[in-house]
Amino acid sequence: MPQYSLHINGKLQKVIAEPDTPLLWILRDELELCGTKYGCGVGVCGACTVHENGAAVRACQIAISSAADKRFTTIEGLSSAGEHPCQTAWVEQDVAQCGFCQPGMIMEAAALLNRRPNPSDTEIDEVMSQHVCRCGTYQRIRKAIHHAANRAPEEKST
Amino acid sequence: MTVTRRAFLRGTGRAALGLTVGFRFDLSGFAAAAAAPEFAPNAFIRIGSDNVVRLWAIRSEMGQGVRTLLPMVLADELEADWEKVVIEQAQMGARFKGIRLRTSGSGSAAGTWAPLRKAAATAREMLISAAADQWQVDTSTCRAQSSTVVHVPSGRKLTYGQLATAASKVSVPAKPRLKDVKDFRLVGKPVKRRDALAIVSGSAVYGLDVKLPGTLHAVIARCPYLGGRLVSCDPTPALKISGVKNIIPVRSGFSGGVAVVATNTWAALKGRDALQPVWDKGPNAGFDSEKFMSDLEQSLSQPGFAIRRSGNAQTALAESPVKLEAIYEYPYQAHAPLETMNCTADVRAGSCDIWVPTQAPEASQQEAAKLLGISPDAVQVNVTMLGGGFGRRLQVDYVLEAVEISKAIGKPVQVLWTRDDDMKHGFFQSPKIEQVQAGIDASGKPVAWLHKSCGPDLSVLGLPTEQERKNPNFYSDDGMPWGLFDNPYNFPHHAGDFVPVQSPVPTGPWRAVMYPSTVFARESFLDEIAHASKVDPIELRLRLLAPGDVLDLKSQKINRARLMAVLRLVSEKSRWTSPLQQETGRLWGRGVACNVYSEDCYIAQVAEVSVRKALSDIKVHRIVSAVDCGFALNPLGIEGQTESAIAWGISATLGGKIHFKNGQAQERSFADFKVLRMDQSPLVETHILQGSEMPGGFGETAVPPVAPAIANAIFAATGKRIRRLPITAEKMQNASAVSSTAKESFSG
Repeated sequence: MPQYSLHINGKLQKVIAEPDTPLLWILRDELELCGTKYGCGVGVCGACTVHENGAAVRACQIAISSAADKRFTTIEGLSSAGEHPCQTAWVEQDVAQCGFCQPGMIMEAAALLNRRPNPSDTEIDEVMSQHVCRCGTYQRIRKAIHHAANRAPEEKST
Repeated sequence: MTVTRRAFLRGTGRAALGLTVGFRFDLSGFAAAAAAPEFAPNAFIRIGSDNVVRLWAIRSEMGQGVRTLLPMVLADELEADWEKVVIEQAQMGARFKGIRLRTSGSGSAAGTWAPLRKAAATAREMLISAAADQWQVDTSTCRAQSSTVVHVPSGRKLTYGQLATAASKVSVPAKPRLKDVKDFRLVGKPVKRRDALAIVSGSAVYGLDVKLPGTLHAVIARCPYLGGRLVSCDPTPALKISGVKNIIPVRSGFSGGVAVVATNTWAALKGRDALQPVWDKGPNAGFDSEKFMSDLEQSLSQPGFAIRRSGNAQTALAESPVKLEAIYEYPYQAHAPLETMNCTADVRAGSCDIWVPTQAPEASQQEAAKLLGISPDAVQVNVTMLGGGFGRRLQVDYVLEAVEISKAIGKPVQVLWTRDDDMKHGFFQSPKIEQVQAGIDASGKPVAWLHKSCGPDLSVLGLPTEQERKNPNFYSDDGMPWGLFDNPYNFPHHAGDFVPVQSPVPTGPWRAVMYPSTVFARESFLDEIAHASKVDPIELRLRLLAPGDVLDLKSQKINRARLMAVLRLVSEKSRWTSPLQQETGRLWGRGVACNVYSEDCYIAQVAEVSVRKALSDIKVHRIVSAVDCGFALNPLGIEGQTESAIAWGISATLGGKIHFKNGQAQERSFADFKVLRMDQSPLVETHILQGSEMPGGFGETAVPPVAPAIANAIFAATGKRIRRLPITAEKMQNASAVSSTAKESFSG
């Protein structure tokens, strides 16, 4: 099996894997970065969202062979202490219920705020509707994003 | 095949709370082992000499906030410093033997309230006694606050940590004094989730996040046909995949199959893709859910079980000058929690450790023990965080698969269900056909009410056994079907019936269990009566609940005054009689529905919807709820559960359903099983009537009224009555206008 060098959360990681292995399973099985969740495996739920060069992508849809030379950030790399403005807004707004979708939601929201520091409801809905929250925490997510926007320093591109 | 009884779902949680001697360290890896605890008054509380207060949550956290709520009750009664308490998860093992850990039927708050308070009050009094002994003062001069005992006259203080050793030697008070409700610092106040930081930083441990050294990963090729079975499977193609270790048949789950065990998940998935199992399609290869629904409609002519009887409904109906009748349909629904089923098991000689996101630790332990032929005491079940439960995780099929595979390979294994597995191999919400008839007298009052529900019962295959069938009160003794048995309205002539019909599809509890279909029919039909009689729908309900007496159904008592109060509150808060926002090209309407969940939670909802004039879309703008669930332990949690339950209800009302064709579920993921997403999510407003009664369970209460409130609002907007869920633009376009004058007959 080939070896790949990956930039994950600012660190260079070497992994040996089949070329078609999705980044999701590299993160979870090999690197034990388990904040990135498996929800569907077909790119329709958003639970595995990470940043690729600062943009939100689905880790289940990226083969390891195409991941070299790109910089990835997972929820653990956003701020392991939970201090990113989205994370603090999520806690303040008491957003999470079961919480399983929330790392993906937060990664999406953080990427959105990078692009659009003050998004409208419509802009939020457009991006966040790619995600599923079976507990229906959408109203609080929308509110938390506005709160984070009002306070967010520009996230350093990773 | 056993019927899951209401009593089993609701439970009482009245576990014996004797002193636990000894301490069993969790093997779970995620509950960090503490320094040796000094004070262990019962299973729920440990206070170390390091002054760390640890509290155990005895229910599974699946989003309902129970890991905040139950420790809140303990901390308040214990007078522990909430900011510093450490919350642990109760695990199925020696320590919690005899204490219910099962999470179901919205019973966590009501079922644990009294025992948890008593346990914490006991510990508090023992700590106070220890301090008073040390100071040689009377206990009445001491007070507990913020994990400290204070001698009030002198101001001397000792922390719980300093008192821990001494407190463990104090005799246990037989009747500890509970705090007065007005003295609660946490209970009754809005308290945020304690797990929030772990969740948002990605460190919360769900089932698949359990990592044990040497664990192999498995996925299972399951027989896609309902009731089919494996004939043969050539393992060769899968074994060629790098990383694949074993191909073994699995029989213990509901639908058997072939497991592919590998060193990593991706290899297991590729191995499964490479397999070409040969299936015996079994007896249900022709099963079609659309045909099943029409068969159910035929079954309405069968007698069934009498559930409610008063007056003479048939005669009164025949003699009524106005008769109405309608048939409603509730289809198969999947739970589809975002975390798919999964389980990690490590079977060794004579023992077994399981890590699983489950609502049913007891059943997991018992069934695993049975499968392995060992004592339940040799099976340790560690409950992780649950990425949603909604009733699906009351089943243990996915636990047994992991146990069976681990035993076969002699190594720890983590079994992953793919989303496709999860959609196709659920224990679905059982479908129903509901027929309702009413006889209306000359004054417009409904005097006869006949409701017949038809479909699988709560057991896995939906039928009572021969023995159970002999008892005519088999369902009504258990208060089933919910929503039909506990219909709160007062009709002089009332008949409620249930016709159980078997389905080859495994069914089981789904959020709000039996209420969604019966309440959809009941509350939609009341709206039909209101329009036919030209009475405002809220007014009609109030008249049918007057004078606000208590309906005594023996096993349940329905307080009609409480339902009237939430109806009045929702009328006010939704501005029911005020004109609705208008927008060019759209039709707007409001609809109301209400329900009583298991006698202790009362809810009324108003939905505001708009529909494009061409009937090509539906938008729910706002849902206002008024709730009375007795003593609201955490109002913030109740708001969250209302939002969540409404999202659940909207998904089933306007989203997808599960179709079976040729004996197979057709849906594969959230691409074809549509659930609510943010852009369709309405503004949700929750108004709580704080009651002084016992706390009621609130995880499911807000689900049942959603579908009828929306359907009634669509009728108000368009004059189209949709009686078969889910509601679609196509159904609106094909529905005939029920009454051209209906819209003018009431406001909204």
